[in-house]
Amino acid sequence: MARRAEPPDGGWGWMVVLSAFFQSALVFGVLRSFGVFFVELVAAFQEQAARVSWIASIGIAVQQFGSPVGSALSTKYGPRPVVMAGGILAASGMLLASFATSVTHLYLSIGLLSGSGWALTFTPTLACLSRYFSRRRSLATGLALTGVGLSSFAFAPLFQWLVSRYAWRGALLLVSALSLHLVACGALLRPLSLTEDPAVGGPGAQLSSLLRHGPFLRYTVALTLINTGYFIPYVHLMAHLQDLDWEPLSAAFLLSVVAVSDLVGRVASGWLGDTAPGPVARLLMLWTTLTGVSLALFPVARTPTALMVLAVAYGFTSGALTPVAFSVLPELVGTGRIYCGLGLVQMVESIGGLLGAPLSGYLRDTTGDYTTSFVVAGAFLLVGSGILITLPHVFCFSASASKPQDPKTDAVDTKVSLTKEGLQED
Amino acid sequence: MRAPSGLLGPRGPLPLALLCLLAAACGSLAEGQPSASPLTSLPIRGEMMTKYSNLSLESHNISLTEHSNVPVEKNITLERPSNIELTCQITISRGVNSVNVTWKKGDELLENYLTNATGCILYAQYMFTIINSKQMGSYSCFFGGEKEQRGTFNFKVPEIHGKNKPLITYVGDSTVLMCKCQHCSPLHWTWYHSNGSVQVPIDVQMSEKYAINRTNANETRLKIMQLTEDNQGSYWCHAVFQLGESEERVQLVVLSYLVPLKPFLGIVVEVAILVAVILLCETYTQKKKKHIDDGKEFEQVEQLKSDDTNGVENNAPRHRKNESVSQ
Repeated sequence: MARRAEPPDGGWGWMVVLSAFFQSALVFGVLRSFGVFFVELVAAFQEQAARVSWIASIGIAVQQFGSPVGSALSTKYGPRPVVMAGGILAASGMLLASFATSVTHLYLSIGLLSGSGWALTFTPTLACLSRYFSRRRSLATGLALTGVGLSSFAFAPLFQWLVSRYAWRGALLLVSALSLHLVACGALLRPLSLTEDPAVGGPGAQLSSLLRHGPFLRYTVALTLINTGYFIPYVHLMAHLQDLDWEPLSAAFLLSVVAVSDLVGRVASGWLGDTAPGPVARLLMLWTTLTGVSLALFPVARTPTALMVLAVAYGFTSGALTPVAFSVLPELVGTGRIYCGLGLVQMVESIGGLLGAPLSGYLRDTTGDYTTSFVVAGAFLLVGSGILITLPHVFCFSASASKPQDPKTDAVDTKVSLTKEGLQED
Repeated sequence: MRAPSGLLGPRGPLPLALLCLLAAACGSLAEGQPSASPLTSLPIRGEMMTKYSNLSLESHNISLTEHSNVPVEKNITLERPSNIELTCQITISRGVNSVNVTWKKGDELLENYLTNATGCILYAQYMFTIINSKQMGSYSCFFGGEKEQRGTFNFKVPEIHGKNKPLITYVGDSTVLMCKCQHCSPLHWTWYHSNGSVQVPIDVQMSEKYAINRTNANETRLKIMQLTEDNQGSYWCHAVFQLGESEERVQLVVLSYLVPLKPFLGIVVEVAILVAVILLCETYTQKKKKHIDDGKEFEQVEQLKSDDTNGVENNAPRHRKNESVSQ
């Protein structure tokens, strides 16, 4: 197959966007709506809530830590077989879970098996998306990530209906069938050969070259810090509102407002990321700083109007930073190394995600309310955005700093010495 | 028999002037007289008060206003036999004498009640003892006059709660049905199974299938093992108190594994078809592209051959031919 010099930016790429949309819905939508099963499982197995909530935690942890494996495999074999295998694993995990007779079975089936299936699907798909687009990369990523928000709206009532009709065993069986659609999504990921692919070599070589890449390491640290602060409000906003004596119905309404503005933010930022001149890292800095500021202002707001305004601002800015965060990476490491790069980033930033919520809970327990934890979350975001300043080209305002040609030259410069075949003959 | 003055303020000495004032405002004070013959379902009070003095005393009040349209009701939950004291009070603007006080249980007229009036308020009191289920029910006080005002006390045994939604299980599974009540301890619980309208009691000793577990006094659990489709339907749990029974329904649905399996297989087939369609489309478009490319190459070769025979230089076509092939 002929190697392309430039990503296609359209054409089949839009089918990849569709595939990524459904995949983020099927992976994260299922994870987020798992709370419906939580109540049923606690009653069915007569277990404590903490033991049952480990099921989802193990699933998320395996998905994030397993990302480099998914990336390495897709560098070697292309994304399609890896994602299809991941879909089969995720579906069989859920299938086995429907026959479970103890919570340990669920840890192994949903946590380990489905988690590793999800690890093999999400990261390779996003990386594949970044290879298909260059000019409209942020918009494509933003559109694909809206799948997460929309599926949370749709899956929670759907799962509730399934449980009320088929009990949790039958419902898990049908969720397994739903997850099987990941295989169909994987079939849509047509492999794409770009000119810089042979220059960067196999997965081992890519990994070692990435670990020596300064900007990549700084970016990973920045994203880890951002991730630490990012998830805290999702977990603690409801409790904070109840501390302020809000009614549960109004609090839930506020959370829906945050979710809607998150969705709008993702698409708007995706569009903006493509049309704004200059490196996307600058936009990431902007959104991260704004999110940090709005988080830090949360404790100050007491009146409902102020809280509503802050909630809309937080939702919009935090949604806005997600597609841009994924778009910075191809500019840093090049589309040839995107699979491995994304896998490594996901693995390291998951540490931040795992630490953030317990840290916030600990702060609340020691200080009595959520003020400190929100301020600390905002601080993490601001520090992360500060580190982003050290990335290359962030302060270049000259005309030459348009969508950079650097990925190719970066890849060629730092390549391990391999043959030059495939590049144009002299 | 003269009724004792009880707790309704004895006719003690009041300043005479105040008494005259009160009399002027509300009419004269009145005092009811008990009737001569007690009814059969009511115990004779004097003796019974001593016999049941070890029971607890429950007092309940209802306040009425003279011109309201809504009858006032009070629901009382009672579990054990007790002595009961019911008081109705009504604020009258004038003419306390003209108000006729009656007590009824259902439609049955009661006797042995007291009335007293203090200022503008008329009190009516009825004391009795509840020892079995025959004495539970509704007791009403009536104040006659221009418009009859009524206050009702409803006595009920405690309610029990099961699960509102049907319990869904599968064949071969085991399940636990539970009934509980908030703050009560029944004498015992029984379970019934009904597959229509007839309730069949469940005998726990007879089969290995059922087990009744009593962890606390206020709840009961029926465990059913090796479920079959015959086991579905309504289950009734009865809580038996000294003063009556309370029941609640729990519904059990038993499904076979085929029920969710059919949609599952349907979706698996659908996914397989999707994957096949996507992959076939791709190989088809690739073949078409390859044919087009081959066709283009063929055309180019033909064109060069024809150029060649037209007497153009030999080197140029070879060079161009090499280029087009190596792409």
